[in-house]
Amino acid sequence: MAHKTYQYCVAENWGKGFIEHGESSKLTFSSYPGNVWQVPAHNKHGNLWIAKVAGSVKTLAEAQTIVDAEVQAAQAVWDSLPDANKAPAVESNKRPTDITLEE
Amino acid sequence: MSEYKSIHGAKVQTYSSNPANPILGQVWFNATSDTLRVQSQTTAGAWSTGGDLNTARSYLGGAGATKNAALAFGGGPPPAPSAKTITESYNGTAWTEVNDMNSKKAFVAGAGTYTSAIASGGDQYSGVSESWNGTNWTSIANEPSGKNAYGAAGADNTNALFFGGSPPSSETRYWNGSSWTALNNINTARAGIGGAGKTYTQALAAGGQSGSTRVAIVESFNGTNWTEVNDLNTARSYMGSTGTQTSALVYAGTIPGVTAVTEEWNGSNWTETTNVSTAREGGASAGANNTDALLSGGSPDTAATEEWTGAGASVTRTIDTD
Repeated sequence: MAHKTYQYCVAENWGKGFIEHGESSKLTFSSYPGNVWQVPAHNKHGNLWIAKVAGSVKTLAEAQTIVDAEVQAAQAVWDSLPDANKAPAVESNKRPTDITLEE
Repeated sequence: MSEYKSIHGAKVQTYSSNPANPILGQVWFNATSDTLRVQSQTTAGAWSTGGDLNTARSYLGGAGATKNAALAFGGGPPPAPSAKTITESYNGTAWTEVNDMNSKKAFVAGAGTYTSAIASGGDQYSGVSESWNGTNWTSIANEPSGKNAYGAAGADNTNALFFGGSPPSSETRYWNGSSWTALNNINTARAGIGGAGKTYTQALAAGGQSGSTRVAIVESFNGTNWTEVNDLNTARSYMGSTGTQTSALVYAGTIPGVTAVTEEWNGSNWTETTNVSTAREGGASAGANNTDALLSGGSPDTAATEEWTGAGASVTRTIDTD
């Protein structure tokens, strides 16, 4: 069985105090569409943070499903835009890309 | 067993909230949170979450001398019909909406403070510019190169420098409060540059992109000429950036694909440090130096704000007694 590097939860970022400096010093946080947060697995500080933010723990597959749904919704919005709005007025004006979460 | 008083010479005081100005090493009991607290120094830089913008948006402009006194304005998503005039002011805790800009601007660059700033550029290549006096935006003369996605540096609405831009440009323009002056070009034409510098004679231009190629190039300006200095570790564009010519921070951006990587500049070299939590490009920046920075908004459209506190800063911590 593959060893998990990350664990996932869904939690709404309430702003100030959601991630504190001391927590960020001890953990690497990554957020994804759909309020999905990735923190290291098997980690006391990660577990404490998920508890603090009342995060709803998700498996990798569950988290991926949430992210996929959010990205596909953003892609649908992009696809429905008039072509004039998709023109690359600047280099970064582009369709949202798929995201694959790591185990 | 020794008591705290016999070692420290004073009892641990009980407060209903944290004391206003605790000194380094001070310990107290917070009766509201039922926690023992200590004022200590950070040993490493890290990002923490700040108050969300009221309106999620991307490719917005930013200004501000510290992370606790910042301005975020305009933004997209582009193109212009979807762009915004919204302006928000940050006090270190929350964003408050203030008076709008006069015209919609995505890919707008900003320089100055939250009470005195310049915004220039927009996604229609117009160079449209406005001046902020702490209360209102006033339209000023267009930046003559007529670009967007500039790099920017400067002190206030009478001392601002804008460089590069999209389509990839090498032009440099100085705003003195009443007119634009062309100065010597940057060496490598590019857009989406990270700018730093608290006066137009001491600026830094980091990264950017020419076409779809991101660059790691960094150039330093002395008021007359741009000189290439050491490269970023991660080539990127549309990143967050703040600080001075000798103490700067570059964070997030696109490589392409959004990145969370943060790098510190000490005047000579870039060192990779703690990532932002929400990878993004086109966020608004503010801050003082490589120990004090702010990132808000960005693409994919977000309202998220993150505050950077570098090593050596005074912070309140909770003592773990379990």
